[in-house]
Amino acid sequence: GPGILTRTLLNAGVRVVALENNSAFLPNLQSLENSLDGQLKVIYGDFFRLDPLVSGTVKPPAMCSDKLFETMGVAAVPWRADVPLKVFGILPQRKERVTLWRLLFALYECSSIYRCGRVELNIFISEKEYKVLTAKPGEARAYQALTVLWQVGCEIQLLHMEPWSSFVTNLKNGGLAIPKTRWLPNDHLCLVRLTPQQNLFTGALKPTNSATFIFMVKQCLVKPKSKLTDRLNSWSLDNGGKLLRALEIPKNAQTRNLYPEDYRRLFEVLQNSSVFTETWFHDEVLESIRNINL
Amino acid sequence: QGHLQRINRLFSMLESVGLRPSLDSYSAALECMGRNQSSPKVIQRCVQQLKKDGFHVDELFQQCLFEEDEKEKVLSAIRIVQPNYQLPPPPKPQTCKASLLPDFYSKEKTVSYPKLDFSVQELQERFQQQLEMELDNTVTIESVESAKPLTPQAIKARKVLATLRSQWHDSILQALQKSKRSMSRLKTASGYNMLYPYLYLLPDEEYVGIMLQILNTLSPQGESLAVLARELGSKVYNRYITQRKLRSRQLEKVQEIYEDYIHLLAKDSQPDEYLPREYWEKLVAEAGFGPSLNLKDCSWPYMLLMRLGMHMLELLVKAVKVPRNILNPRLEPKLIPVLYHIYSFRSSWQVGLIKPHPIFSQIVSDAAETLLTFNSSAIPMLCPPVPWTSPHFGAFVLNDTKLMRFVDGAVQHQMLLEQCPLVNLHPVLDALNQLGNCAWKINQPVLDIIISIFNDKGNEKLDIPPPISEAPRPPAASSNSSTWNKSQKHKFLLCKKKAAEMHSLRMDALYKLSIANYVRDKVFWFPHNMDFRGRTYPCPPYFNHLGNDVTRAILLFAEGKPLGPNGLDWLKIHLINLTGLKKKNALQERLEYANEIMEEILDSADHPLTGRKWWMNTDEPWQALACCMEIARASRSPDPAAYVSHFPVHQDGSCNGLQHYAALGRDLIGAISVNLMPCSVPQDVYSAVAQQVEEFRKKDAEQGVKIARVLQGFISRKVVKQTVMTVVYGVTRYGGRLQMEKRLKETEEFPEEYLWEASHYLVKQVFNGIKEMFSATRDIQTWLTESAKLIAQSGQTVEWVTPLGLPIVQPYYRSRSTVAGRGQPARQQAKAQQAGIACRKPDTVKQKNAFPPNFIHSLDSTHMMLTALHCLRQGLTFVSVHDCYWTHALTVDVMNQICRQQFVALHSEKILQDLSEFMLEKYCSPGRETRALWQKKLMEQLSNVPRTGEFNLKKVMDSTYFFS
Repeated sequence: GPGILTRTLLNAGVRVVALENNSAFLPNLQSLENSLDGQLKVIYGDFFRLDPLVSGTVKPPAMCSDKLFETMGVAAVPWRADVPLKVFGILPQRKERVTLWRLLFALYECSSIYRCGRVELNIFISEKEYKVLTAKPGEARAYQALTVLWQVGCEIQLLHMEPWSSFVTNLKNGGLAIPKTRWLPNDHLCLVRLTPQQNLFTGALKPTNSATFIFMVKQCLVKPKSKLTDRLNSWSLDNGGKLLRALEIPKNAQTRNLYPEDYRRLFEVLQNSSVFTETWFHDEVLESIRNINL
Repeated sequence: QGHLQRINRLFSMLESVGLRPSLDSYSAALECMGRNQSSPKVIQRCVQQLKKDGFHVDELFQQCLFEEDEKEKVLSAIRIVQPNYQLPPPPKPQTCKASLLPDFYSKEKTVSYPKLDFSVQELQERFQQQLEMELDNTVTIESVESAKPLTPQAIKARKVLATLRSQWHDSILQALQKSKRSMSRLKTASGYNMLYPYLYLLPDEEYVGIMLQILNTLSPQGESLAVLARELGSKVYNRYITQRKLRSRQLEKVQEIYEDYIHLLAKDSQPDEYLPREYWEKLVAEAGFGPSLNLKDCSWPYMLLMRLGMHMLELLVKAVKVPRNILNPRLEPKLIPVLYHIYSFRSSWQVGLIKPHPIFSQIVSDAAETLLTFNSSAIPMLCPPVPWTSPHFGAFVLNDTKLMRFVDGAVQHQMLLEQCPLVNLHPVLDALNQLGNCAWKINQPVLDIIISIFNDKGNEKLDIPPPISEAPRPPAASSNSSTWNKSQKHKFLLCKKKAAEMHSLRMDALYKLSIANYVRDKVFWFPHNMDFRGRTYPCPPYFNHLGNDVTRAILLFAEGKPLGPNGLDWLKIHLINLTGLKKKNALQERLEYANEIMEEILDSADHPLTGRKWWMNTDEPWQALACCMEIARASRSPDPAAYVSHFPVHQDGSCNGLQHYAALGRDLIGAISVNLMPCSVPQDVYSAVAQQVEEFRKKDAEQGVKIARVLQGFISRKVVKQTVMTVVYGVTRYGGRLQMEKRLKETEEFPEEYLWEASHYLVKQVFNGIKEMFSATRDIQTWLTESAKLIAQSGQTVEWVTPLGLPIVQPYYRSRSTVAGRGQPARQQAKAQQAGIACRKPDTVKQKNAFPPNFIHSLDSTHMMLTALHCLRQGLTFVSVHDCYWTHALTVDVMNQICRQQFVALHSEKILQDLSEFMLEKYCSPGRETRALWQKKLMEQLSNVPRTGEFNLKKVMDSTYFFS
């Protein structure tokens, strides 16, 4: 846009690479770029159209992350190393949910922006999505698959909250183009920092099998009030009862009452049991990622 | 049961909440009084109250529906107080006065109904067979694959399966009984409990049977929860209806009347000057007493079907288990569920799926069982269908069939049909009866060839789906799929997708061929019903004459007629039509071509699989082969004119939608291009449009329009065809551009960078071209669209009446989610459901965009029905596949004449004027509402009927290629 966020970052003295997807704003930004001595680099591109799913040639503003990192001069670092890159941005309100899922898949697969390491995201999201990301087990409506997966994957910090009323609007009715919510509060725009966990892949979870983990969590939390044992049984598990006892999970626990860490431990145990090697489970997992990654 | 006190209590309850008893309430009270022979005083009081409420005693017998001996009991009660009371005479049969059928219903000109080649005795036997089949609800038949030899592996797997099934039967039964017990203990009426009575309608064994049947037909890819639940629910409902028909003695009465009805059709009985519907009505009126043929309304709401089905599914998932080690004895012997319940995520929503465990799928595939079980309504009828006499009654003997098919839970059209005076529906009912009364048989030699290929390796080119064993195998990479790279995963998924597609194609063909094989020695009938626009369809879903080339090729008319002087020529022309060759040539040239290649035709007929296989390289190879064989037999018979042929010959409307538009608008140029004008050779509208577009392009190119120059040499019939064809069905510029882009992409030399611009330009010019040729057509289309838009925006649905009197309403409403969740509070669901039925808002976009095509379809169905009815009066065999009409080779000429006459008659009506008047009356009549702005706008729009062109409609009578 007009570059308010960019100028703020520049004033803080950091080096900035700005992605602009609207060519109307480019000339202004480019003149800003020229007035500075290499502190700003402006690229015609859209962060939310990085690595598009469709095959074929990628046309700007869509772009490939490899190319982008090459232009920026950012090299990949090992997962456990420090944050190689910080991203600032505002999630488009209408695509918030989809964007969060896509980023999540990239994170667990170490693909796209996460190919170069633990990229830190500083993003503006609506309060309702923030509530989902930070929900506690048992919180009706808020505690979802997205919650579990982000909490396992990242450290989540709230940096700032700004009431929606601070924003001007160009809509005739004077309102903001914010999706309505029924169940969760949505009065603010939240700046949230998502830092990938250093130890995400130290256990049994690997970028290669993470699709199974995601699949498992999603299946469990489709019906948050269902019992975990029922879910396990419907996967024709050998001895679900024993497994739960070993994990010290109560027999009649509902899936929404499990902590994110519980799901991680459950996955690690299941990884060593027969369920995940059953062919049907494989196929289901593969099928589930078809639309996302292939 | 004669409990008068309880009825009294109910009446006083009704009164206390201010509800007035209906006629049916009085009928129930009087029945009760008749049953226990109440005192005259009591009955007198009841009759007085009835009159006070504004009813008449006669109306009891004219309007109420009765079961068993209810009618007699009511009458006996009335006679206690009025000993001389006589039943009101049956209503006089009314005669339809549709202006399109001036002579059809006049008694002076009636001719006797065409007889079938069966005696009364034979038809009665067939009726018994059909009745028994329907009483069983399902039919189990040998599949065509049973001809294959049995492997030892299959024998073993079948044994395993049999043992498992008997175990499953017991465990499902136990689970069912347990769930009933636990429900009976619940005190409050929870949603769960609501199902309780519905689990007692049938014997337990029947519920178990239904569940096991679902298990047997589940595909290895699984099925969505909602589909399975609905299937289970409707199976229970169907059996319940059968039971009610038996118990209320409705069936007994149908049986009695059918046995008399058969006399109208049988060859050895008196000729009667009645139509099937008229004759049936006469017999019902004469029968007088006993149960009514219509059941009192007892349809179940969609939600109930779903919930009942969900409950049964849940039982299945929980109860049906298999030992884990059944295929691999080295594993631990542990019971695991056969079905698993999983969710599939599609962008923002999720679908619940039920899938069979691979172990089970493996056993089923090893067993290669060859028995197929179908609903009895999936098999063609073995006797002539029960004639349609009302929107609720007709088609099968027992299976409930709706006159009009419905789209997801819409009930508006059903209500509209009920409100419509029955006499207005007579032409439509009679046309459906006529289509349903066509007797069919199997073309055995062709069926045998198809089955032999099917049981071998199939043949994709000939549209015989190969068995699943021919499917591509996924790459046998390392078994641990987590190490696969993207392309391996991709290949794997492609293989799976292909296998799933092949499986469903194979099963579809297996069903069709097996049903055909089951009736191979029989004569059979397809009862018909229609969609909301009046387009007709055969009821049995898998095997019918609307099917693909393969299915059409194995169907013959049961009745044979000599070829007559022109029959053989028509067969030859029909053959050339099937090949797709010589489309631009005159009929005479097609005939000459057929005579030229007679040697190929005979070779195909004599050595279909070993000869030169000319038939295989045609557009419709199987029908072409069947036709070759018929020509061979006819031409070799001593006197071809006397040869008795059962072969259906088709006549197709050329771009039928545009034909109706051109006739509506009387567009001269348009009419010529779609063959409404007599011409020596068939006209091709696609070429004509392409030519027009080319002219535009030339002009633009001369004026220096760049894209017009780029397109030089690329405009052809092929490029514009799809768009022209779909213009009738409301394709937009957006969709049209996509079609163009696709065509241009297929053209290799076309420079890619101009794709967008070129397709954009082309679609504009095609629309302009059509506007030029069909100027009035475009105006009419716009007028229809705009009118529908204003109607829908005012919150109403678009309704109209076809020239034959069929009322139509567009069933498009804003979507609502189907609540079928387990354990959702019942109150919430009930609320959602009420809201769903009472106040669904119309879907404005669909109402608007679909109106022009729907309106045209309602006209083409009217044309078809008119043709059917007049063919009936001339004693022709006639069936249709929408705008493709079939008859014997002998009668093609007569059918062609009738078809043209009726097209002229139909379009001589003031169709648009009538539509405008109807809509003005319906949506803008004063006093309906205060005159809002929208009403003024709508009135102006509706009154402004588009003007028409100069085309002389009568010319159609002499046009050879109108239908050809």
